[in-house]
Amino acid sequence: MRYAIRHVTRFEYAEPAAFARCNLRLKPIDWPGQHLESYHLSVEPGGHTYPARAEAGLAHVVRLVVAEPARTLTIESTATVTVDRMIPVPDASDPTLGEIAIAARASRDMSAASPANYLFPSPLIPIDDEIAQWCAQELAPDRGALEAGIALARRIQNAFSFDTTATLVDTTPHEAFAKRGGVCQDFAQIMISGMRAAGLPAAYASGYLRTLPPPGQPRLVGADATHAWVLLWCGAERGWVGLDPTNGIWMASDHVLMAVGRDYADIAPIDGIVLGSGAQKMDVSVDVEPLETVAA
Amino acid sequence: MASRAVTGLFDAGTIADRWIADYCAPGRASDTLCARASGDEGWTAMLEELAAFVGDEPLDHARERAQRHAEDIGTGFRIAGEGEERPWPLSPVPLMIPATEWEGIASGVVQRADLFEAIVADIYGEGRLVAEGHLPAALVTGSPFFLRPLQGMTPPGGYHLQFIAADLGRGPDGEWRVLADHVRAPAGAGYALENRLAMSRMLGGLQTRLNIERQAPFFAAFREGIAALCRRSDPRIALLTPGRLNPSYAEQAHLARYLGLLLVEGADLTVIDDRLYVRTIAGLKRVDAVWRRVDPRLLDPLAFDSHSTIGVAGLVDALAAGSVVVANAPGTGVVESPAFAAFLPWLSQVMRGEELRLPTIATWWCGQERERERVADRLDSLVIAPAFGVAARGLPDGPALGNDLTEAARAALLADLARRPQDYVGREVVRLSTMPVVAGDGLEPRPFILRVFAARGADGKWTVLPGGFARIGEHPDPRAMVMGEGSWSADVCVHGPTSVEPVTLLPSGETMALRRNPGTLPSRVADNLFWLGRYLERGEALLAMLRVLLGNSISADSGAALSAATVRRLVDLVVAGGAAPAPASYRRSDLQQFVRAALEETDGWYSVRSINRQARLIGQISRERLAADMMRLLDAPFPTRGGLLDKAGSLQRRYSALAGLSSEHMARTDAWRFHDLGRRLERAMMVTRVVRGFSGADVTADDLSTLLDLADSQISYRQRYPTGMARVPVLDLVALDPGNPRSIAFQVQAIADHLAGLPVLSDDGIAEPQQALARELEAIVATARPTEIDEPLLARIDDGLARLSDAIGRRYFLQGAEPLRAAGLVLA
Repeated sequence: MRYAIRHVTRFEYAEPAAFARCNLRLKPIDWPGQHLESYHLSVEPGGHTYPARAEAGLAHVVRLVVAEPARTLTIESTATVTVDRMIPVPDASDPTLGEIAIAARASRDMSAASPANYLFPSPLIPIDDEIAQWCAQELAPDRGALEAGIALARRIQNAFSFDTTATLVDTTPHEAFAKRGGVCQDFAQIMISGMRAAGLPAAYASGYLRTLPPPGQPRLVGADATHAWVLLWCGAERGWVGLDPTNGIWMASDHVLMAVGRDYADIAPIDGIVLGSGAQKMDVSVDVEPLETVAA
Repeated sequence: MASRAVTGLFDAGTIADRWIADYCAPGRASDTLCARASGDEGWTAMLEELAAFVGDEPLDHARERAQRHAEDIGTGFRIAGEGEERPWPLSPVPLMIPATEWEGIASGVVQRADLFEAIVADIYGEGRLVAEGHLPAALVTGSPFFLRPLQGMTPPGGYHLQFIAADLGRGPDGEWRVLADHVRAPAGAGYALENRLAMSRMLGGLQTRLNIERQAPFFAAFREGIAALCRRSDPRIALLTPGRLNPSYAEQAHLARYLGLLLVEGADLTVIDDRLYVRTIAGLKRVDAVWRRVDPRLLDPLAFDSHSTIGVAGLVDALAAGSVVVANAPGTGVVESPAFAAFLPWLSQVMRGEELRLPTIATWWCGQERERERVADRLDSLVIAPAFGVAARGLPDGPALGNDLTEAARAALLADLARRPQDYVGREVVRLSTMPVVAGDGLEPRPFILRVFAARGADGKWTVLPGGFARIGEHPDPRAMVMGEGSWSADVCVHGPTSVEPVTLLPSGETMALRRNPGTLPSRVADNLFWLGRYLERGEALLAMLRVLLGNSISADSGAALSAATVRRLVDLVVAGGAAPAPASYRRSDLQQFVRAALEETDGWYSVRSINRQARLIGQISRERLAADMMRLLDAPFPTRGGLLDKAGSLQRRYSALAGLSSEHMARTDAWRFHDLGRRLERAMMVTRVVRGFSGADVTADDLSTLLDLADSQISYRQRYPTGMARVPVLDLVALDPGNPRSIAFQVQAIADHLAGLPVLSDDGIAEPQQALARELEAIVATARPTEIDEPLLARIDDGLARLSDAIGRRYFLQGAEPLRAAGLVLA
């Protein structure tokens, strides 16, 4: 599948912002089954962009400096991405959860793609007793990793209600869990927290869903904004497998990965410092259009 | 070696011998004092000095004296979460270590520092230790202080570490071992310095008698070590503090003063084009190096935690560009994890082919299968602790002796140990030996931990601070100390046969370039001193109003009661200033209540007490710029005794003393100019408002007399105009007379002069906006005619002063930073 992605973020400031220095992590990464064909970033008003030297997650990062006072800031990111990912099929030969935990602990890989990077609690995803106990029902160590992973994603989809009014961007996994509701970020965080509590290497994935479903299929939840889901490392053979607890499905050809990190803080599409006073308003619009259908 | 041939010490010698005999009698063979080598005179000589110092007083007094010295030096610390600083608890009995024994400690610490440098350089560089299987990747990524954005970055000069500390325990057999390493932002060197200062005031003779090694060369080497890495030859080095609420802010301020570093907060710094600058009143100034005491994760909101408000956006970019030295480099804290101790002996072999000279506390990291089984099997005989220093689910109360766990706690721990073994270490139980402390009228043994510091000098080699400081447990039970508690501190004296040359950080006069300007004044410091001046002046003015109200309406026997209209005007002024809500009526009891509220209520009102509190907070963060006497007055508690008049009187005397100190004791630097600017501006505003309130066409003699009282000009007036009160002469004296130090004219002139004396940003000779505004205001006041002082003129002056205040803020102070005064109070 080839997708044209258009992601526009518009900030409005009540008082002109004197100065802004931001990280933009909007350019989708390459990933198994996914290739970035073309990319364009535009910022209005101008400002100065340059590649950032340092990064915490798997992301393309650009620094943006706007030194002139501005009342609005519009960041438009457009990309063409081909995605050709099979739906994983759990198999009796899959490693068990217990085996992948041991393998991750023994990893000799220090890169940002190493499972060792995603074994531990992170600033936004602490380990939580209640979440750990609830998730543990699906995470017996002798269970096959893929089969257990999709079971937990479906359990979350069934038990939690998608509710954009229940949570805010800084709601903790604990709070969202108590409400049994929230949005994709909440579900991904709860699932990651539960998996890490069981000793599993689980990463936070951010990206897009195709906006309109193929004919005859329901529209996926979370398609009109950036989406978040979970990657579970399933051993050296299987590698990272994507699980979407919001929709209770695997990451396949409807998902476009933008960045991978320990949590949202590693890979927020836009973060940084804006000097100014007064209120800030943010508007985001996302469009993910299939360009043509790849023969299945 | 030490001799006792000092006159008058015979008695002291006897006393010291008795102390030692009593102390060591109950079979304390493993105590540091009792186990001293024969011929080691250190303890005896020190206790003799102590005995001589105490004289006829009970030994207990030595403890109080030590405490008082520590307080005089200004040593304080804060328990996280507490608002007030606590005095530093200093034991009068130092820990004595002979030079021969110290050599072993020092060489072990140096070896460790070199090893850490090599490990950190590999982790953030080549990554061979992990790739070759000497270190599991999870041991690195599990540390909250592993900062992936720094991978692949070599710090300028090539070193990651400039300053480290280690906590050492002495076992019952006299062997020293390392209990913990401090690499991230090691604290406590300032306390070692202050302990030594306090002790030398008490036991001054000890220094030469025992050839005690001095501390100054260590600090000089540290400073030179950082300077050597900078690109410029006379670098500007800053100490980056998290701020006033940090537990060791006092220590940081002290170290900055001692080392000649600029004490800055994140908001003082900015990065432009990958270079670091400090915002000063003379514009942006380059900063070459930063000794950071800020959590590395909060150091740069762009590279790490974007919510950090205490960091500097872009600092990591500047570091990567090699234009700034950061000591220690961010990310080095990764080797601090308790789990790392399990790998150090092996890493020392692999990387340097050496045994560790100082053994580390034996540790097993449960992230490895074999070690996990071993720890689970031997749980009862081990301490089990979080592997990375952060809370682990199976140890809700932190490290524990396996033996001490309840059945339920043990089951919970074992369950989580099975799920997340990487979060745990098992450690041998360490027995600590003891040292003497003063308890009652004698000495008692307490377990202790020694903190040792090492710094890299200009030649790249490590120097160890001879001494450091000892933390002494409150309880005789040594296990409490393993958990990291310490309730007393003691100086540590390394003594030996070689005589020690006196050294201080002062270079010789010939090599110093003379200067009368103390250099960089950060905008934040100027801002604080300016507001300190304004608060003190405002407090004084409010007190003057309250005293007039008290003296004339409440004290029945004064016989000088003011007219009701005058009292009303006065009350209006106090209310307009936000000091208290308007009284229910003008009856005496309501007025008394009103004055009480304006004096000491604090709920959101701008009372004298609130103003005092604000002034004290600013004083605390400006302490490196203020005289000790000034700090003491600012810190003095709000008076509680006597009636309202007594309290107001006592406060007024305090304010006068503060004014005297600032005018007589502060050097005429730019810092002083800002303090005085604040005072002048506030006074000009207050007098203008008082004149506006008491100068209408219907003004009475009472009003005019009150006006003179509030402007402190009663005596000047009576000398000039013995015939009595008249409107124009009174207004002329308090508003326009440039010879009256309380007049508006005098303040405006002083403000204009200060502004003319401060640095300008450009050498084009054109007045800056605040300078132009001040001159304009000066001209308005100078050309006004006394007979034409009316409301429009006063309103114009009032408005001019407000605009001037804004212009000063815009030009000199930080913009966009959260100023301290935002906390609850708003000044007009």
